Amino acid sequence: MAAGDAIVGHVVTFGRVLREAGLEIGPGRVADALRALDAVDLARQEDVYFSLRQTLVSRHDELDLFDRAYSAWFLRAPVLPPVRQRTAAETLTRVGESPTDRLRADETDEQPGDEPLELGASGHELLRDKDFAELTGDELRRVRELIGRIARTRPQRSSRRRTADARGDRLDVRRLIRHSLRTGGDPLERPYRARKDVPRKLVVLCDVSGSMDSYARALLLFLHAVVGTGRGVEAFAFGTRLSRLTPDLATRDPDAALQRCTDAVVDWGSGTRIGASLREFNDVYGRRALSRGAIVVIVSDGWEREDPELVGREMAKLARAAYAVVWVNPLKGNPEYQPLAGGMRAALPYVDRFLPGHNLRSLEELAAVLAGIERRHAA
Amino acid sequence: MGFSSIDELELALRDADYLPDRGLSTALYLSLELSKPVLLEGEAGVGKTEAAKALATVLGARLIRLQCYEGLDVAHAVYEWNYPRQLLHIRAAQEGTVSEDELFGPEYLIRRPLLEAIDSDEPVVLLIDEIDRADEEFEAFLLEVLSDFQITIPEIGTISARRRPAVILTSNRTRELHDALKRRALFHWIGHPSVEREIEIVRLRVPGIPARLAAEAAAFVRELRGLDLAKPPGVAETIDWAMALNALGRRELDAAVVEQTLGSVLKYREDIDAVRDETLARLVDEARAAAAS
Repeated sequence: MAAGDAIVGHVVTFGRVLREAGLEIGPGRVADALRALDAVDLARQEDVYFSLRQTLVSRHDELDLFDRAYSAWFLRAPVLPPVRQRTAAETLTRVGESPTDRLRADETDEQPGDEPLELGASGHELLRDKDFAELTGDELRRVRELIGRIARTRPQRSSRRRTADARGDRLDVRRLIRHSLRTGGDPLERPYRARKDVPRKLVVLCDVSGSMDSYARALLLFLHAVVGTGRGVEAFAFGTRLSRLTPDLATRDPDAALQRCTDAVVDWGSGTRIGASLREFNDVYGRRALSRGAIVVIVSDGWEREDPELVGREMAKLARAAYAVVWVNPLKGNPEYQPLAGGMRAALPYVDRFLPGHNLRSLEELAAVLAGIERRHAA
Repeated sequence: MGFSSIDELELALRDADYLPDRGLSTALYLSLELSKPVLLEGEAGVGKTEAAKALATVLGARLIRLQCYEGLDVAHAVYEWNYPRQLLHIRAAQEGTVSEDELFGPEYLIRRPLLEAIDSDEPVVLLIDEIDRADEEFEAFLLEVLSDFQITIPEIGTISARRRPAVILTSNRTRELHDALKRRALFHWIGHPSVEREIEIVRLRVPGIPARLAAEAAAFVRELRGLDLAKPPGVAETIDWAMALNALGRRELDAAVVEQTLGSVLKYREDIDAVRDETLARLVDEARAAAAS
């Protein structure tokens, strides 16, 4: 290894800078980077840049972060270090406590941990129909487990991959021959193979703008539980712009996951640009066929601040690629609700199922719909 | 067949009619130097697959391509037994006894791309195309192959690579690949080329095309990429289109010929609809102005 100690020190520290910025840099990657630098001409800045980038970064969406760190570290350019923006502590509380929580804290000195965590069947029943907007922080914690259970049902589809299955529809010739050797070449046993069911791709887009604020906590819990059911799930939050939450929700502990989400989403509680957010989704993720064949669930009250027509256009694009589109609107929980909001009206023609999502019971309904959904709209 | 520097590899690739940008040359060079697979990602049509072909050419290596799809399994990627021959053999030896060794010997083995690449005496470039289309089970299996460069066939034994193939993986990012696989590979993102490079590519790929037409076509495609399209055209589309224009005997662009041939650049009806009439006329004017400057 010709790489001098100075370079080793540089690269190791640079690796740490990247790690702090949120990239996953293990010792293996740093070792690769050093080997790469050893193979190229260090006098050519471009080659040094690509050697580091190609060994340290493995995702397209990390390139920007890398570029900024690289300029800051190696070129000493006057840019801010690319540390993920921490949002103010004020926004963090939004997930943990509800407005009613805050009110109650003013009135009484009651400790939230006083009540027993176990709930009887009747307790569940009460919680089941309670509007998410009225849940206290404590109730929300109890609801969490129920939400997890609901989210576990994933819609299935038939895979192209076949596995051994006695009731299968296709002969397993390899095993047939192998077994027939035992009986002098006569195929006495007939093993079969069948397609197996695998979870269908699921994409959830959750509105976290001001008008959805009181539902966002419960829905984030739902998102976390859904992401926890395995691969093929993508979760996004949108308000004025779109943020991908999947990596942030991958943490097992719901509290930690919610914390990371509040860190990641910059526009909690701001206005809604549904059309623009959908367009961003279609352009960036739809083009990568993330939505193709997927069930797309949009959770929003449909209050578009800007251009309802854009909502319609982008919904059309989305519906063409998706297997089915489900719109969950917490306002629909109110029996007198009518979808009059411009964005909602524009979106409805492209929605396969329109459901409320304001309490546990409606989430159960959502899970049931997801498990049995059929493609309704024309391809 | 090694290269002593990135420059040398880049020159060789140019001689093979492939114009890489510096980043891609670096990735391919490092992949050879560090014996690591390289994962190429980028929009469709930026030349990911072409890069593997060009690398095979300059290395004097055989290109073995594994096209991935959902459900791709060992029987189609690695090896399969030739059942009809095995059955015939059992029939023919009806009275005698058939030993397993006989039936599961190399002559009954159908070799699929991965086995071919591992068990080859000549140099090989292994292209694993669109890995994101394969399912996770296959990805996990591939990870094993790429870490040990050996394949175990229960009936025969373990076959290890005598020389490691150069491995290029491509992905269109329809899903995120597993971290473990990414950790094994160098990663390079191929973006759209600069206008100058694209003109150069067009002139290289469409021999005899008038210089002015090549410049205008490249400038026009660049304008298209700036619009909000469902599928912005890649270099592959630019080349197709330039070929069409050249075949029509055009020397420069005008609105009428663009209208006629737009289908080789834009592949979605809504995109074609978006680039009509005034938009089209404006883009042609801008492209002509850009090419003239």
